[in-house]
Amino acid sequence: MSAATSHAEHGHDDHHHDDHNPGFLSKYVFSTDHKTIGIQYGIVSLLFLLVGFFLMMVMRWSIAYPHEPLPEWMAFLFTEDWKARWLQDGMVKGETYNMFGAMHGTIMVFLGVVPLGFAAFGNYVTPLQIGAIDMAFPKLNMMSFWLYFPGGALMLASFFLNTGAAQSGWTNYSPLAGIQQSGAPNQWMTGQTWWLLAMVFLISSSLLGSVNFVTTIINLRAKGMTWMRLPFFVWAMLVTGFLLLLAFPPLEAAALMQLSDRVFDSSFFMPSGLVTGNGALEVAGSGSPLLYQHLFWFLGHPEVYVLLLPAIACVAEIIPCNTRKPLWGYRPMVWSVIVLGFLSFIVWAHHMYLTGMGPVISTFFQTTTVLISIPSVILLTSLIISMWGGSIRFTVPMLWATAFIPMFGIGGLTGLPLAFNLVGLHLHDTYYVIGHFHYVVAPGILFGLFAGIYHWYPKITGRYMNNLLGHLHFWPSLIFINVLFFPMLVQGMAGFHRRWYNGGDAYLAQAGESANVFGNTVEQYLPLNITMSNAAFWLALAQIPFIINVFFAWRKGKKVENDNPWDATTLEWATPTPPGHGNFTFDVSVFRGPYEYSRPDCEEDFLPQWHEPAKIEKDPSPTPTKEESKPTVA
Amino acid sequence: MDIPYTVTARKDTGLYNAKVGIWLFLASEVMLFGGLFSGYVFLRVYADFPWPERALPVVPGLINTFILIASSVTVVFAWAALKMRKWRQFQVYMVITLICAALFMVLKAVEYNAKWTHQAVRMNDFTVLEGHAHKFTIDDSGKIKHYHPGGHDDGHASNQFEENGMFLVADKEDDHGKSSGGGSKTEHYFNQVVFEADKITVDLERFYAPIISDLMEQAQKQGREIRLSKSVAGRPDAQVAETILAEEGDLLSLGLLKKLQGIHLDAKANNASVRTKQNREAWAKLRGGLSRKERNEPSYKIKDRLELDPKFDEFLVETSSSVTFTIEPKVTFVLKPQKVKEGPTSASFKDGTLLGGKLDEKHSQIEMAADAIDFRFVAQRAEEKGIDPELAIQNTWLMKNNETVRELWEVHNKHIAELEEKLAKKGKEPTDTERYRMGWQELVNIGEGKEVMDAFSGFAGPVHAIGEAKKSHYSRHFPEVVVPREEVNLESKFTPRWNNYYAIYFLITALHGLHVIGGIIVLGYFLFFGKKMYLNNPERLANRVEVCGLFWHFVDLVWIFLFPILYLM
Repeated sequence: MSAATSHAEHGHDDHHHDDHNPGFLSKYVFSTDHKTIGIQYGIVSLLFLLVGFFLMMVMRWSIAYPHEPLPEWMAFLFTEDWKARWLQDGMVKGETYNMFGAMHGTIMVFLGVVPLGFAAFGNYVTPLQIGAIDMAFPKLNMMSFWLYFPGGALMLASFFLNTGAAQSGWTNYSPLAGIQQSGAPNQWMTGQTWWLLAMVFLISSSLLGSVNFVTTIINLRAKGMTWMRLPFFVWAMLVTGFLLLLAFPPLEAAALMQLSDRVFDSSFFMPSGLVTGNGALEVAGSGSPLLYQHLFWFLGHPEVYVLLLPAIACVAEIIPCNTRKPLWGYRPMVWSVIVLGFLSFIVWAHHMYLTGMGPVISTFFQTTTVLISIPSVILLTSLIISMWGGSIRFTVPMLWATAFIPMFGIGGLTGLPLAFNLVGLHLHDTYYVIGHFHYVVAPGILFGLFAGIYHWYPKITGRYMNNLLGHLHFWPSLIFINVLFFPMLVQGMAGFHRRWYNGGDAYLAQAGESANVFGNTVEQYLPLNITMSNAAFWLALAQIPFIINVFFAWRKGKKVENDNPWDATTLEWATPTPPGHGNFTFDVSVFRGPYEYSRPDCEEDFLPQWHEPAKIEKDPSPTPTKEESKPTVA
Repeated sequence: MDIPYTVTARKDTGLYNAKVGIWLFLASEVMLFGGLFSGYVFLRVYADFPWPERALPVVPGLINTFILIASSVTVVFAWAALKMRKWRQFQVYMVITLICAALFMVLKAVEYNAKWTHQAVRMNDFTVLEGHAHKFTIDDSGKIKHYHPGGHDDGHASNQFEENGMFLVADKEDDHGKSSGGGSKTEHYFNQVVFEADKITVDLERFYAPIISDLMEQAQKQGREIRLSKSVAGRPDAQVAETILAEEGDLLSLGLLKKLQGIHLDAKANNASVRTKQNREAWAKLRGGLSRKERNEPSYKIKDRLELDPKFDEFLVETSSSVTFTIEPKVTFVLKPQKVKEGPTSASFKDGTLLGGKLDEKHSQIEMAADAIDFRFVAQRAEEKGIDPELAIQNTWLMKNNETVRELWEVHNKHIAELEEKLAKKGKEPTDTERYRMGWQELVNIGEGKEVMDAFSGFAGPVHAIGEAKKSHYSRHFPEVVVPREEVNLESKFTPRWNNYYAIYFLITALHGLHVIGGIIVLGYFLFFGKKMYLNNPERLANRVEVCGLFWHFVDLVWIFLFPILYLM
């Protein structure tokens, strides 16, 4: 913060960091440099992913082995007092499972994947790719991180409250969320309330972030970087920025209303005549639980694309680079991503078919939901065709990017049935839904983001990540993640409910009796629980090479030979490695589109955006367009 | 190496960075308030209670609207002054802007205060009463003094005070002729639960220190001691011998409770860990003894074969999870009704603390001067069930038990009949509000023998609390109502708790108020600390004021939408 005070003396200038040597705090902690902030986001979000993964393992244990105590290797993390409160003789209690389930979702979505995809990659790569020296508002950028961090800390700290953390699912549906822990004497000290407070922090953080991204992309593009010369990554970030900007505020409204319900006893989401285990509630009533669902899913659906777009953006950068071919259908992809962003705002109620909406409304949402598959398929198809006939270099990032396509494909295709009202009613809240969106998020989005990490790591650190460890990370992950998620689709169609903390065990008591038909179905598919849970534990092991790799390569990895180790064309590879403060060492001008690979008129198989045409294009084959010959004035 | 376009506009976009930023931010704000406004629509459309209309004083709201519009104009003048490089003029306009903003907040605060001192009661039969609760005092001996409106200043200052324009005088039967002298008295509104307790049971795992402290404080004030009724023995784990942790007759203190809690939790953790080990060992043995094929069976299939080793049981310990204290003689506790669930002989708190004794029913009832008696909810529910609303009203507890209200209702009905006749000529009917609600204006008019309904009665909203002189004059006409606690369905001040109208009103206006305060801080910063920037780079300051001005216009615009939906509709 010393930087901030020194500004006051200069009065007119916001950017004098390069004049002095910043101290440790302002360089690594309260930094305003987009790259440092990107790395901060990256590290913290990866840690949160790890926490979310751990919560999932405890849940999977409870599902597969409901009568057995947690094994020592999972339980050692908890204190004795905590175990006495939250475990029943070492076994996971129902309420503990609910708590872990709610927090697994929350942490993975809001604290893990979004910050990693949008904030970490977006922060690091976007300004570099458009040739800017930093974000438009560096201090806001820092503030964005320092709102995200306490928000996440608050979420984690809520595990240690007397009431435990939030227990009503990551969607935090009212009135369940409103009455959950409402018996606590101090409402400000309950996990449910802290969840809401933490969400307010996170929403404010993403608001600052998205304003910053969009402004940066609109106003700080380098000379000659016209809209259609933007790398696809930047387009995806622009759309993601708009999604966050416009979709999150209604959830903030809902969070404030729910907060008011909790601490001021209002009835925004409390219907009349609500009776709980403790008798009738002493509230005014007349509230609307449906209102909460609308406000939540108005965020919730665009949020899916906030998760997805950064991943697909990484993949779209990596595929052309490793196939040495231009991205196929760049313009259709850009338009698709814009249409996708728009459509994502008008599909939200397909999460709510079970609320008893009328046929007119459900037909509308069914139609828009099916429509949104058109731009999605355009994106995915373009990526596949981009690989067609390329001389593919199967580097580790390319492996992840390649795997992204079929994995995300499964995720997308399994979503189609859910778009239809009738099927949706049947599959609602079953493991099918869990399988579907985990295919989208885990082997889909996370694979894309892993690809990004392996791809840009050399730029960030100046060293490659280890190849062997990369393979040891990739192949087991690919196998076990499928063993983990595919059986969920099967179980879901058999009717397994997503919130059974003992994996369906309760239905087995009278499985033998002929009246208990469902019990027989459950018994048939129950052993899959053990397969899936074991796959989850193996999947955890498969992440260890990655963790070792990140730290090992930081100091000991193979050094990059030059600033552009992948022979890529976009501007981030024009910077020194790692980029210093202010990023570029020359005055950036852009002369062409982002994916000029294997041009027949060039000696090399790539033509970076920043190379001046005079040097290379001595023999102007077909016809050089006007655009290419001189940079557009900006 | 500066970030470009912080002051000058980029040619192809025509905007400088901050302007792009503020428009994006405002877009986000539109979505935030859009969410809240759609919440308002949703809640109002689906409301199952009579939505309060014109429940707020219109005039102050209108004044606030004009104040904000004026400040939006002056903030533009301030910006224009900067553009013309006239610092002095900028200062003047900015000061006016800030004064307007401050005035807005003051009016808002007055309005808020009036709301959350206003008592409202919804009875079990859905009769709604609004008004001001009376007070009682409790002195050091636990004696309760009861205040009623009426009479005039009789010079005995200790027995009376003024509250909401009413002279409240101590009840004759409570007043034993002598004031209790030097001891301090605590005042309470008549909506508390009064409980005479001789026993307190504390849940060691869940007890909440502020609740215990409050009880201890009240007992101490009345000079009572809370002592342990039975010795407590225990041990944290099996290795330690059982010891007496607290003797019979020990005084209640947070320290004692925390000590006992610590031992209880240690014992619980000990037991949990012993049982976990026992289970783990048994499962390892069971799975180890199975054939290869059976080893991966779901646990439900084999769990019946589990054998727990009894050798672990000797490590288990037992401690009590709650302790009981006695109070000799009884203490009269005054408790907040939302914090406590009361019965005739016991009262329990949310943290598991339990009081034993007797409920003081007389002082736990709600005594108030009603400035509105509202049967709309009763009528609405009756109509839904197909019952004659008038019959339902006649059958309410209030009509059966309160003579004054019955008389008022007769007069009211007479006037409604007249009104009906008058309106019938124009082909209209009285509204539900006119028909089933007696508001403060009507009560006063009846009391003063005036025409009950004038054309604009109540248009300006409830303003009887404004204007000192009129206040006491009016309040004489408000009927006295006493509601026993068991007849109360919901009792609240006009806060978010009372109904969804107030919930959304407080939420949106508070959020809007926060935006106003944010604007005050930033604009104030430019006014008081902007001189240096002005001298260095006046254009930059002008840009900043412009951007903040855009925000200020947005805040104004929100209010322009808020005013009609909350004050007029």
